[in-house]
Amino acid sequence: MDPFIAIILAVFLPFILAGILPAVERLVKDKIGWYASGVAFLSLLLVAVAAPEVIRGGAVQSSVQWIPSMGLNLSFYIDGLSIMFGIIVSGIGVIIMSYSNGYMSTKEDLSRYYRQLLLFMGSMLGMVFSANVIQLFIFWELTSITSFMLIGYWRNRSLSVYGATKSLIVTAGGGIFMLTGFLLLNIITGTFDIGTILQDPSIITTIKGHDLFLPALVLILIGAAAKSAQGPFYIWLPNAMEAPTPVSAFLHSATMVKAGIYLIARVHPIFSGTDAWLVLVGGLGIITMVAAGFLAFRQTDIKGLLAYSTISQLGYMMAMYGYTTYQYPGIGVASATFHLLNHATFKACLFLVAGIVAHETATRDIRKMGGLRKELPFTFIIGSIAALSMAGIPPLNGFLSKEMFYESSLEIGQLLGGPFAILIPAAAVLGGVFTFAYSIKFIDGIFLGKRRNDELPKHIHEPSMIMLIPPGFLALLVIIIGLFPSAAVTYMIEPATSGILLEKANVYVSLWHGFNAALVMTIVTFIAGIAIYTRYDAIAAWQDSFNARHTKISINYVYDSIVDGAKGKSSSFAAFMQPGPIKPYLVSLLVLFIVLGTIPLILVGGLMIPPGLAFDINIYELILLCLIVVSAVGAAVMGKYIYAVLAVSAMGYLVSLVFINLKAPDLAMTQILVETLFTIIFLLVIVKVPQTFKEHLTRSVLVKDLLISSAVFVTVLVLLLNAFQGITSPFESISYYFIENSVPLAKGHNMVNVILVDFRGIDTLGEIVVICLAGLGVYNLIKSRSDSK
Amino acid sequence: MTTLIAKTVSKVCVPIIILFSISLLLAGHDNPGGGFIGGVMFASAISLFYVVFGVDHIESIYKNHWDKWFAVGLLLATITGIGIMLLGYNFLRSAYVSATFPLIGEISIISTIFFDIGVYLVVIGGILHIFKEMGEDK
Repeated sequence: MDPFIAIILAVFLPFILAGILPAVERLVKDKIGWYASGVAFLSLLLVAVAAPEVIRGGAVQSSVQWIPSMGLNLSFYIDGLSIMFGIIVSGIGVIIMSYSNGYMSTKEDLSRYYRQLLLFMGSMLGMVFSANVIQLFIFWELTSITSFMLIGYWRNRSLSVYGATKSLIVTAGGGIFMLTGFLLLNIITGTFDIGTILQDPSIITTIKGHDLFLPALVLILIGAAAKSAQGPFYIWLPNAMEAPTPVSAFLHSATMVKAGIYLIARVHPIFSGTDAWLVLVGGLGIITMVAAGFLAFRQTDIKGLLAYSTISQLGYMMAMYGYTTYQYPGIGVASATFHLLNHATFKACLFLVAGIVAHETATRDIRKMGGLRKELPFTFIIGSIAALSMAGIPPLNGFLSKEMFYESSLEIGQLLGGPFAILIPAAAVLGGVFTFAYSIKFIDGIFLGKRRNDELPKHIHEPSMIMLIPPGFLALLVIIIGLFPSAAVTYMIEPATSGILLEKANVYVSLWHGFNAALVMTIVTFIAGIAIYTRYDAIAAWQDSFNARHTKISINYVYDSIVDGAKGKSSSFAAFMQPGPIKPYLVSLLVLFIVLGTIPLILVGGLMIPPGLAFDINIYELILLCLIVVSAVGAAVMGKYIYAVLAVSAMGYLVSLVFINLKAPDLAMTQILVETLFTIIFLLVIVKVPQTFKEHLTRSVLVKDLLISSAVFVTVLVLLLNAFQGITSPFESISYYFIENSVPLAKGHNMVNVILVDFRGIDTLGEIVVICLAGLGVYNLIKSRSDSK
Repeated sequence: MTTLIAKTVSKVCVPIIILFSISLLLAGHDNPGGGFIGGVMFASAISLFYVVFGVDHIESIYKNHWDKWFAVGLLLATITGIGIMLLGYNFLRSAYVSATFPLIGEISIISTIFFDIGVYLVVIGGILHIFKEMGEDK
């Protein structure tokens, strides 16, 4: 199959099949999870079908026209990097959705759960294969939205709602920055197409020399950091742990949070090789890695611990992509990409293990756990393999990429020289030490030690195979990649690295590569890690007491005060803008009309009464106009609603007579019909409200109202006189176009209708949408009122 | 307003008004009329029924879901717009087919008539949906 077709199918099939999921659910009931994992498997197959050609022959790009006039096409860029992400996303998708069959109770709203998971998977696949930055942005925000819905899956838990909102504000907000960065890139290059930029070295040179280089880099980096929970934007990820655990494993460890890393890898050829890249990307990564690793200590929630560890591990990848400025870029890129793959395997596995533990013990608090190795032996083995891989113990895959991380940290330190030769490797080891400590905590706190009988349920047993096989498979991958890295390297890491570097890359990874500096760093890490672990609880206690003493030194505090402040401000603004009674709205509308009507008139030099006015008015018109005036005055002075309404409709019918006199039958007919309906509806409503005007108008209010209505009258009169007299004479009347073209172009003799359905068809479509929305709106208003009663 | 006269007259008039509204809809392209006018006229006729007989009485005879009318209308209008794209034209462009039949003579159909029918249904559904809900609200 053509790779392009395969990828289009892989991206859009999840969307379509998610659409028919509710129908399938009626057939298969509780087994719907297997349908969803089947869809994920289909996507996995399709990505795998596209893979060989890309791995052999380099990047493939094709597009389908979408908005050609704006240079926007539905286009996919398929290279080693996107294939690797595609495999991870759909592969982990299969595992997660299979696991969910055991995890999610059949009493839950399974249809919504799997639908959103599939939508997320489709968006994520669309994102990694997008060749067009606008398309990438759309899929990017779709992943944010589906993540929002999945975090808030348990809608009535306030913590879920808080976490979901926070993640949406941070990640979708970051997306806006990223979009701005893309627009700056478009200003520099004139294209939205990633492939075009990547395949033309001269464009990349132009970008690097441009004044907008730094702003574009910073904006795109903010988007990536927000998505990947880097730097100050980390705050959303711990709260996202309120999602069902399979969701956390899928979105918030293995795939979605790596979107930022993907973006960094994708724009790597464009921005890397500069000092700004090293400082911003590398610096951000190192700081996040150390800080998040440290903050993980005080987490008592096992998922919270894993969340901080994810932030820290993403910092590793960020740092390695940032290192590429002064060293041969292949090392940093290859190790980052390799770590990305390894992290996806062991972290998803850890989350699934955490899910099993929480599922069986009914708690996520690590302080209540301990000694579960006897009751959950398989879970213990699987979880230990994954956690030891995270800690960097050989021969597991985490060891390999951590070793590469140490190597590249050492090298960049030496190349920079000065204090950096010590600082960067030291920071790397510190990150490793923290990682080691909390990984051991995960094993020790849950499975080892003494069982706390008072806190745990009496009988704890292994879950079904449905929940054991998925993490077991991942743990197997952890071991296989660790022992025999060459397969993964040849088929995934090398093509991905080539895709990022835009040249053929050769990556060598082996379990044993001599007694070198990196190995010394690893040994130091283990020793220091064990030393720190003995003080683990003391450090956590110190962190807690620090937080208790300095509540304001916290990014969460800043976020909460901003959000709460915005809530307060917006409700007071809404109270000001939406006071309730109709009169203030009318007044502001009319005053605005007066201002907007007169200002242009004064600017173009309109006159109160243009000279040379000649009215050719006949007796019928005069009589009609007099009657209209009478009924208008009547509507204003009548004391009862019912008379006022009748006066207003009399005026409407009289206006329709004017239309007839002007030979506009369509207009007249519409006016009569609308007037009739208006009167009937008004009369229906009027019987339910007090029959007389309740409020007594004081003199000052009357004077003010009279002034406003007179001003409106004068404005309309002057506008009409000037329009009639032709201060707009430079513009030709538009009606000639329709008179000439309605028969030849639209085959219709009724010009009004032709304008409505043909020339201005999209306007009409918009208007009928408004009618539908008005119908639904009124329905909801009435229903909500009767519900509240 | 539930006098015998009103009941009798509306029973005779409403079908005629409805037929007239359909003719307005179909004739709209070349003569005065069109989907909007036809729709408002249809809605006025039915609302006459509602006013004369009462919403509850009409509902007890035939329960009507006007929201479905505007949903179908909007769908039809949109499909017309998109359908024309399948023929390679721009969104909502009109296409014109004319054929001569024995006995009947020449009949021509323009694609916008379907769009206009959509408008017709939306107007009817929208107005009567609001009308019914307000009438039922106690």
